[in-house]
Amino acid sequence: MAVKAFSSEWAEQFKDEVNASSVYKSAARGWKWTVGLVVEAEPDKKFPESRGVVMDLFDGTARGITVGSAADAQKCDFVITAPYTRWKQVATKELDATKGMLQGKLKLKGDLPTIVRYTKASQEMTECTTRVPVEWPDEN
Amino acid sequence: MKYADPEPSAFASMLGGLIDANIETSRAKHKDFDELDASVGIWVTDIDEGVTLEFQRGTLVVHNGLTPKRDITIRAEADTVMSLSNLKIGMFGMPVYYDEVGRGVALKLVRGRLRIDGMLGNIATVNTVTRIFSVR
Repeated sequence: MAVKAFSSEWAEQFKDEVNASSVYKSAARGWKWTVGLVVEAEPDKKFPESRGVVMDLFDGTARGITVGSAADAQKCDFVITAPYTRWKQVATKELDATKGMLQGKLKLKGDLPTIVRYTKASQEMTECTTRVPVEWPDEN
Repeated sequence: MKYADPEPSAFASMLGGLIDANIETSRAKHKDFDELDASVGIWVTDIDEGVTLEFQRGTLVVHNGLTPKRDITIRAEADTVMSLSNLKIGMFGMPVYYDEVGRGVALKLVRGRLRIDGMLGNIATVNTVTRIFSVR
């Protein structure tokens, strides 16, 4: 059953997908930093308020993925910021996250060598996002 | 490090930032950087964007796009460019092509999905750039 985009239910399912992924577990070995995703508001897309996804990731496991304020996400070690539409494009495989970052469509803050070292882990995380069935507010 | 354009592209900023961080944390990479004099283009084929890195023995000027008169031009898809950054550096400062990442890069080179124009006359430069670029 589909869950509302960037809701607590979505976060829970996303976390389950990440922890079920052997590819992620292997690729993210050694990772010990928090990652924040800032989903910027787009009121005309029925996403009126920015939200933050805080991911507590450690050594191949998602210890916690929660949805809260953008400010919470901005306190993470790594922060990726984009408008709602871009995140939807990533989650529906319309936009590859790596290409998105190189093009500036997703804005990345954090230690670049570390994020590059874990490219495979971040690619698998994106794959995990696409496995969660989602209800998008602008499609209702 | 300097950016040639008043508004560096996202790709230019990322690459410049990556190289900056790499040479800060590695004496060997810093030495390579101080000795390198070459103009290196990187064109990401699946996003139609590129940069030119002008290494000038201890300084780097990052240009948006490909500028004329480059010594080497690397042309590849985005994930291959990221793989280049993940190449391990082994003995004698040579990239490692026998692990998973290295084999992937080597295969792409053989299949033409990674092109390095100007490589044949500039192997040493290619290796030096690879070392500076690598996050390993």
